[in-house]
Amino acid sequence: MARSKVDPFTMEIIKDALIAIGDEMFVATQRTSMSTIIYEVLDYACGLTDHKAQLITQGNGVTLFLGTLTSGVQAILDKFGLDGLEPGDIILHNDPYTGGGTHLSDVAQFMPIFYNGQVVGFAANKGHWTEVGGKDAGSWTTDSTEIYQEGLQFPCIKLFKAGEVDQSLVDLIAANVRTPEMTLGDMFAQAASVRLGTRRFQELCDRYGLELVQAGIEALLDYGEEMTRRELARLPKGTYEAVDYIDDDGLGNGPFKVCVKVTITDDQFICDFTGTHPQVPGPVNCSRSGLETGVRTIFKALTDPSIPTNEGCFRPLKIICPDGTIFTAQRPAAVSTYWETVLYVSDLVWKAMAPIVPDRLPAGHFLSVCGVVLAGKHPDTGDLFLLVEPQAGGWGAGHTKDGESGLVSVGDGETYIIPVEVCETRYGVLVDQYGFDICEGGAGRYRGGRGLVRDYRITADEAWYTGTFGRHKFRPWAMDGGQPGSPNYTRFIFADGREPVVVGKSARVHLKKGDVARLVTATGGGWGNPYERPIEAVQEDVKNGYITLEMAEKGYGVILDQDTLEVKGVTKERR
Amino acid sequence: MRVATDIGGTFTDLIYLDEATGEVGLTKASTTPHNFAIGVEDTLKKSGLNVADTTFFVHGSTIIINALTERKGVRTGLITTKGFRDVLEITRANRPDIYNMYYTKPEPFVPRYLRLEVRERVNYKGEELEPLNEDDVRQAAEFFKKEGIEAIAVCFLHSYANPSHEARCGQLLRELLPDVPVTLSHEITKEWREYERTNTAVLNAYVQPIAVHYLNTLEKDLSEMGMGPVAHIMQSNGGIATFEMARRAPIRTCESGPVAGVIGAAVIGDLLGEPNILTLDIGGTTVKSSLVENGVPKITTDYRIEYRRDWEGYPIKVPTVDIVEIGAGGGSIAWIDKAGSLRVGPVSAGAVPGPACYDAGGDKPTVTDANLVVGRINPNYFLGGEIKVSLEKARQSMQEIADFFGLSIEEAAMGVIRLADANMINALKLVSVRRGYDPREFTIVAFGGGGSMHAAALGRELRVKQIVVPTAPAVFSAWGMLMADLRNDYIRTRVVRTDQITPAELTSIFTEMEKQATEELAAEKVERSLMVFQRFADMRYLGQEHTVKVPIPGGKLTKKDLAEINERFHQLHEHAYTFRLASPVELVNFHLTALGQVEKPKITRLNRDNARTVEEAYKGDRQVIFDSGFVKTPTYERDRLPVGATLYGPLIVEEPAATTVVFPGQRLSVDEYGFLHIEEE
Repeated sequence: MARSKVDPFTMEIIKDALIAIGDEMFVATQRTSMSTIIYEVLDYACGLTDHKAQLITQGNGVTLFLGTLTSGVQAILDKFGLDGLEPGDIILHNDPYTGGGTHLSDVAQFMPIFYNGQVVGFAANKGHWTEVGGKDAGSWTTDSTEIYQEGLQFPCIKLFKAGEVDQSLVDLIAANVRTPEMTLGDMFAQAASVRLGTRRFQELCDRYGLELVQAGIEALLDYGEEMTRRELARLPKGTYEAVDYIDDDGLGNGPFKVCVKVTITDDQFICDFTGTHPQVPGPVNCSRSGLETGVRTIFKALTDPSIPTNEGCFRPLKIICPDGTIFTAQRPAAVSTYWETVLYVSDLVWKAMAPIVPDRLPAGHFLSVCGVVLAGKHPDTGDLFLLVEPQAGGWGAGHTKDGESGLVSVGDGETYIIPVEVCETRYGVLVDQYGFDICEGGAGRYRGGRGLVRDYRITADEAWYTGTFGRHKFRPWAMDGGQPGSPNYTRFIFADGREPVVVGKSARVHLKKGDVARLVTATGGGWGNPYERPIEAVQEDVKNGYITLEMAEKGYGVILDQDTLEVKGVTKERR
Repeated sequence: MRVATDIGGTFTDLIYLDEATGEVGLTKASTTPHNFAIGVEDTLKKSGLNVADTTFFVHGSTIIINALTERKGVRTGLITTKGFRDVLEITRANRPDIYNMYYTKPEPFVPRYLRLEVRERVNYKGEELEPLNEDDVRQAAEFFKKEGIEAIAVCFLHSYANPSHEARCGQLLRELLPDVPVTLSHEITKEWREYERTNTAVLNAYVQPIAVHYLNTLEKDLSEMGMGPVAHIMQSNGGIATFEMARRAPIRTCESGPVAGVIGAAVIGDLLGEPNILTLDIGGTTVKSSLVENGVPKITTDYRIEYRRDWEGYPIKVPTVDIVEIGAGGGSIAWIDKAGSLRVGPVSAGAVPGPACYDAGGDKPTVTDANLVVGRINPNYFLGGEIKVSLEKARQSMQEIADFFGLSIEEAAMGVIRLADANMINALKLVSVRRGYDPREFTIVAFGGGGSMHAAALGRELRVKQIVVPTAPAVFSAWGMLMADLRNDYIRTRVVRTDQITPAELTSIFTEMEKQATEELAAEKVERSLMVFQRFADMRYLGQEHTVKVPIPGGKLTKKDLAEINERFHQLHEHAYTFRLASPVELVNFHLTALGQVEKPKITRLNRDNARTVEEAYKGDRQVIFDSGFVKTPTYERDRLPVGATLYGPLIVEEPAATTVVFPGQRLSVDEYGFLHIEEE
């Protein structure tokens, strides 16, 4: 299959250069941002689209923004049209219900790229601002009931007009957020990154000519599509379904049924979420762009994760879901912790597809970001501290390997857990333990990976704890006869001897000096019948303490000597 | 006589410099993996040097890094604070390959059952919360003995702030298990972050017995050959150390070969008055690049082995020259992916079977084959004619690519070169553009077997000031070793705000480190007058994580110094991150670089009155493709080019182990040291 004679190598170089622009914007944002959530947690994404809002390239630190840049540009085109844009415009947007919005904390900026007087594309940057105002410090919360409590809304408005900043808008933002310096710092860092992307794109056009660059874009999108379709063609045609339940909405309502029907045809991958629970009062709703992100993430995972991300990859994808569900919430539904529900979108498609794509998809993992906010006064400095972090947990077993222990969830990515030594220095806590949680769950021919236990003993006089631990009631799912994983939870152990309290989601729990918040994440689901796990593997697990002697006997049917770990026999169930 | 040897995967290089005459000589011998010392001795014998005349011997090797990547270290046990034995396996829990749900984390070098916990605790201020439980240590020692453990690592929480528990634990273990080497984390690094420090200690322990055995053997053999006690080893920080230091902390020598090239490039920059250098080191498998700013190579402790963009690798928190490496070298294989795009690398044909043109069983098209097809490499002068290469085999290897795209074989080869160039440019951009540096303010120093072959194209694309090709670029790393000083880095974490520390406290932190450095350099027989100390602090805005390295004045510090340090931080932060804040500023790590200066060889200018002429260097013309289509191109023998010569591209300069390609529109000149300079006309 010989290709056309249009120099294929120049095309390759232009393709690489386009991808590199997304990467460079990404690194530039990291360098210039003032808040840790951007430059440590990498909770942002950068990219380019063409003038028709097709994604050309996207640089990501986490998976949560995969569906959002395209629809953001579409919203701009709908509102302003190409004629309503000028060189130097930068548009601000965070409306969750339209145009790629997620929750208000995630603010996007878009810049039209002009070349020879025409809009030829858009540079985009979407990132999590530490503060956008709203009822709680840090803006996101587990008990809001409508969008108006969650912060400032920017419905597709020009922050820069022909290169001039709108100072009234800047002043308004500064007056409505708790950390104006950091928020404005991040805002200008984002603006710098979209300007950089615009400049690099224009330089590329200078070097190769607009026509060749546009041919390169088409080639890149076709490449993404071609690579993806080849992977899709490997999958058996048919319909695959999954059902699951979201624990609650943080306000005591729930559980909520969620479901998907995946249909694979010759040229489409259709995900139909009809039947999913209507939107709910608490802030666990996500909007349609969250739904899209969740599907795109797992679609990339089950095709080929190494294919460069662009619109072409998603051409075979079709998503169906009625309005007004927990996945397609309408204004003014609360969406503050929308990500917990986006994760369910990914997990549902994952669960439906795992049986037929076992080399790419293991059994269910701990799923929840298990986001934690701990606030108080540092006992040594008297300064306010605000610990905000995701947790790592257990991943499900695969069809050829045990699950990974202590890894961040599908919603996170290049996300680093805070070291204990850094944590104890900065925040008013002492970490009593940080290790694997050895509990019932995850047994299988291949064993689920272990979740973690992390004890925060409060050394400040008092502190407030908020946690978004999902999968507290409905555990990580198993595959092929394996055992489901264990739940995520926080256990509060009080210094005054009160009865400990165990919770999933929690908001501003008041703790005193000496109290312990024990953060426990789930063990992943097992894969295959535990009785088929080789005896030597069970022995090794006991030797390494990944399972106890009792679990070896009860879960795997292997009876070992407690001192020598020699095999004394097997149970009749195993026989 | 000064001698440096560098053990590579295929060859062991030796370079020597006769201080009396200024003469530089090279030899190479096959690397001998069963006992690397033999290869080193072979080069010495082959060189014909009188070993007893050696006044200075520097050695770089891949033994440590190989033992790590091939998992050939010893059975290692770990002792941690109670509650934290899993830190080594949890790592930082990140998923760099974010869409890969089948991601597999790095397997720890110590399995869980060999990771033991003891009761003890200090807090971040270094205050003891719970004493070391010595019974726990005794039980651990007993268990390790039973398990046949050959090396032990110990890492306790906050030992950077108070190492006394680790020290006592080490003392006990050494009493109880006198034959088992013990690595205490604070002896290798005093930086915070328990996972990184634990892993560093574990990897050091894992390779220590191997390093000790190797260094002992080499030392004994060298001494039997008549060499005095002049042997040193190259470290990752760009300095050299005694064998004794390397036996204690072998983990500090992981990158000994590659960093020496950067040190050499910095020396060349200094010589030429070009303080800003981008290094371009192209080997068979990879391209490596590093940035030298104002004459100073960048040092990092965020070094990882086996790191890839989609895999976290293993952190080693020892000071290492900051080098970016990408899988694009002469042996990189060109291939067509599933969607029909041409790709180059990262898989390499290596030395065996090598590129198709070696005719040694490899038939995959490589970058070297492409360079041969387009005439950039002379088939009759590969490695000075030592290796016969087959143009026919190279052409055959390109056939599949040519057929697939419906192109000629030459066009296919040009495609391979252009894509390889694009990959190599990425390495140069990663250390420059991505970190806020403008390549136009930099000079490329090109070395390694392929550096000078590709430098002209890369330099043109990045619009650098100029390109310099040093003498004998293929063994430039060994040359760089001859230029290195003894160097120890001391880094310790103590987090304190600049408005909450007195000048006296700050001074005492450094003088304490300087006292230790003085003692250690004295033990390495460095005279006081040759010791140079440089102070730095890693600083940041309160509440942030990223730090900026700020130079700190020497001597007794004053209030005025503190104010200046603060201001210097703001400036450097603004340069690196584009903004400054009004927030309080924190000191995080204190860093002392202690140099024991060694007498450097003089780089002699070549005799300007030499009788050589350009005509004598001229070897004839050959057909070469630069952008498209063959062009008649004059070729020259490098050794015979006269100083001061200026030539205009297109042209090619050949020497036994390297080829310098100069494009149309570029100018080549030969300076008084014999270095080649390439600039745009």
